[in-house]
Order: sequence, then C-alpha cells, then structure tokens
Amino acid sequence: MDTSKLTSTPLHRGAEADLSLATIGPWRVVIKRRVKKEYRNPSLDEQIRHDRTSSEASIIHEARTAGARVPSIVGMDIENNAIIMTHVDGTVARERLDEMGISEARKFFRSLGEQIGLLHTGGIVHGDLTTSNVIVSPSGAPFIVDFGMARRSVETEDRGVDLHLLQRSIVASHSKDPSSMMNAMIRGYELSAGKKVASSTWRKAREIARRGRYFAIR
Amino acid sequence: MCLGIESTAHTFGASLVDDRDRIVTNVNSTYRPPVGVGIHPRKASEHLASVADSIVKTALSTKDGSSIGPDVIAYAAGPGLGPCLRIGATVGRALSTFLKKPLVPVHHGVAHLDIAMSIAKARDPLAVLVSGGHTSILVHVGKRWRVYGETQDITLGNLLDMFGREAKLPSPGGLSVSREAMKGEKLIKLPYTVKGNDVAYSGLLTAAASYLRRQGNLADLCYSLQETAFAMLTEAIERSLVQTRRSEVLLAGGVAASPRLREMIGSVAEDHGASFHPVPVEYSGDCGAQIACSGRLGFESGVKVSISESFVIPRWRMDEVDVPWIPRN
Repeated sequence: MDTSKLTSTPLHRGAEADLSLATIGPWRVVIKRRVKKEYRNPSLDEQIRHDRTSSEASIIHEARTAGARVPSIVGMDIENNAIIMTHVDGTVARERLDEMGISEARKFFRSLGEQIGLLHTGGIVHGDLTTSNVIVSPSGAPFIVDFGMARRSVETEDRGVDLHLLQRSIVASHSKDPSSMMNAMIRGYELSAGKKVASSTWRKAREIARRGRYFAIR
Repeated sequence: MCLGIESTAHTFGASLVDDRDRIVTNVNSTYRPPVGVGIHPRKASEHLASVADSIVKTALSTKDGSSIGPDVIAYAAGPGLGPCLRIGATVGRALSTFLKKPLVPVHHGVAHLDIAMSIAKARDPLAVLVSGGHTSILVHVGKRWRVYGETQDITLGNLLDMFGREAKLPSPGGLSVSREAMKGEKLIKLPYTVKGNDVAYSGLLTAAASYLRRQGNLADLCYSLQETAFAMLTEAIERSLVQTRRSEVLLAGGVAASPRLREMIGSVAEDHGASFHPVPVEYSGDCGAQIACSGRLGFESGVKVSISESFVIPRWRMDEVDVPWIPRN
C-alpha cells in the first residue's frame, strides 16, 4: 500500500514517527510513518527504521491474536517505513491519569496490568512501556500502543524491563501514590500471567531498577 | 565568595565563585595514567594530595598576588573514588576549621548540571549528564532531579575510555576516539541497544574490542563506535524530550566536549523546538568551578555540615539529593 497517495490529517508527532489520520473504506485508520533522523548516520538510520517498522507490524498482529487490546493492522507501506492500523479512540493515559481519582486510577492500573500479562504470556515484550504509550478508551479500558521497541521474548529479564519502565514513568510523571498504583498493576498482571510469573517478573524489575549507577545497596 | 574543592577521580580543582554566580578563579590539575592503563585510585589520590596545596593557594590569589578569603567552603562529597574523595574532604575540613567558615557537601553530578545551568542561564531543562561516572537523562520534579533514562551498565565515558585503552590510544579516550573517527567513513555494524529511555553500552564495547582484535580498520571502527553510541543516547534523549515536554535541553559532563555528540543532540532539540545549552568545553570536564557553583547554591538554600558529619559518599545517586534551587530564575 502506498500511503503517500492517501489523504490524511496530522494527528501526533512522536519521538521517532509521525502519526496521521485517514479513512480507508469503513475504517478510520492511523498511519504511522517513521521519519528520517538527521542526527543518525544515513545507513544506520535506514536500517533501524526498516527493521522496526516490519517487526512492529507483525508483533501488533500477534498481540491482537494473543487477545490483548491493541490496534488491528490494516496494511503496510514498507518503502515509506509506514504501518496502517485501526484508530483507537481515547486519551493518552499520561494526560488522563491526572484527572482520575485514586480508586479510578487503581482500577485502571489493574486492567493495564492484565493487558501487560496477556502480552507477556503471548511471548511479547513491549520495550517502551510508559503512560505515554497507553490510551484510555472512553469506557476507561486501556489500549497499549506503540510497539516500535517490542520484541518476541519470554525472558524474565525483558519482561522485567517492561514493568521497570512503567514504574519509572509513573514515579516521574504522576506523583499521586505511585506504589499503590504499581500494586494494583501487579494484581491485574497476576490475573493473566499467573502468580508465579508475576512474582519473578516483579522481582526482576526491582533488580533492574537497582542496576543504575551508584546504588549503595545492590 | 564560595571556595569549591573538586577531587572525585582524576582531577584536583579549586575555584572561587562570587555572590553573583561569576567564576573568579578556577585552577585544576588532572592525573593522567600511562597509555593503555586505567585510573588507579591510589595513584590518582597520591597525585591529588601532591598538588592540593598549590592549587588551593593559586585559586585563593588575585592576579596582583593578594589573597582572597572565602566565606563558604564547598567540597565534593561524592560520588567518586574513595581515596580521591578523602583528599578533597580533608582539605575542605582543614580550611573550614582554620578559617572558621561553614562547610558545604556537594554532589559532583548535581554540580556538573549546576555550572552548566548557571552559564547557560537555563531554568528547568531536560538535563543530559555524560561523563566517566554518569550517563543520565534527568528532569527536575519536586525537590529532586529524577532519572528519566540512564545507562544500564557502563557509562559513555567508560565505553570510550575502555575502548581507547584496548586500542592503545592516549587518555582521555573520548578525545582520541573522536580524532580517529574523523578519518573513518565506513559504518561497521555494531550492537545498537536502546531499552525505552535507557541505553546499554557493554555489548557495544565487547563487539568493538573483538573487531579491533581481528585487525580491523581503526578509523572506521572509531567512527562507527561514535556514531552508534551517540545515536543510541540521542534517541533516548529525543524520547524523553517528547515525554517530558521541556523547552530547554542541557548537556553537561566530560563527554559533552564531543563536537559530534553536541551536533546530534542539538539537532534533536531544534527538531522539537527546544533551546540547546551545551556546557562550554572548558567547564565540561571535572573542575573546581562546578563545586564552587553548586556549593554556593546549596549554602543559600541552607545546606551545610558539621566537621564530624562531613563524610564522603562514594556511591551517591543524583536522585537522592535535594536540589531546591531548581527551577532557577
């Protein structure tokens, strides 16, 4: 599919890709186009954009098959490093969270944890799990988006990175009771991933957090 | 007038900063290990001890030879090498006792950011600290710097220094690699590891070292190492910038002297409409001025310590220090 011929309106400018909205038949779709990065060596840049685009499309499709709430892939435009997927209606969690009350936020994180567990048991790790990459639908359900850094993995290490990144984004952006939010998330995660996986992944996440520089106790 | 004493690793520095945040004097001496060898903590500390006296004396003298009495003594309490930290702390305690002036402990990493912010007149930036001790992307939230992204293993400074030693290039590694890189043009495929906002450099070091042992072209390798390592960090910075929506990007620390890294990060800042403030090269590496600058700000916010409590803290994270003087006005 050649996305350059589609009529589209800009939606969002991310760190590595531009998102725009278009209509194909009955669907409202999002076109995610990975843009050239001037700072990067051109051959390195081309390789990274190509690899991430094709891997992202296939992983989103797998995540959908595993039962997670993610967009559906409509098509691809490999030449332009673009993916076409269904549009998810809602607000970015990063913004929505500040308006939520404590109990609503806890419920949300529990449901998000369940989604993460579905991905992990489906053999997928997200690789960039922050509150900026979760969309809250009008009914309050979380949709995980942006699988650009996602990989196929069942390693506890990689799963731990997901929980670690999520925890750090909660601490850095939402000062309201981050530990109770993480607890709710873990309870949801247990529902879909099981107690055993949940406890080992969480243990690993805390270990990863301590890998940063100059921790007195390791 | 605040006297700052730096001695966390290879540099002993002393500097005076006045009440209007101007650097009056800044005198430093750096221990250089032989080619192919890293910093030995004891040998470095012996160097620091041997130069301490004359450095402090010079820093406290005006151009016409008269001496200036400081009102506050600041010392780098950590993080760093224990034997080296103790030299600076000892000098600081002695001066504080003799001159009867308050003693202020300073976090070396926070100080790198403070001096860069003072010079740039930055207010509340996304801060990038790249050195031998740190590779962190930070934002100030509440009273503290929060780590938004960082290296999960070795720092960018470690990577360049350790590779430099493997390649028998003179210290500091960053400068030598950058010189070699200018002659290189072919991009060799090396591991590119970005995990969210974090980077990991140890795989890159191993791959580069093993390529070197296979007698590969050194210039091309240095070029590729630099392109790959810097692009990884720049990608993590861009990601953090989009998420935190800061309008200033600050670059500080020894590796901030690299022209290529400045170019890359500057391009990302511009792309997102943020102003870019790299620290001037002369204040990028470890120096007394950073400690004096941070010590002055700390003292104004009420930070001081008694002699009996003036410990050194070899392991001390940026996000464990209260920094109430940011945002700056």
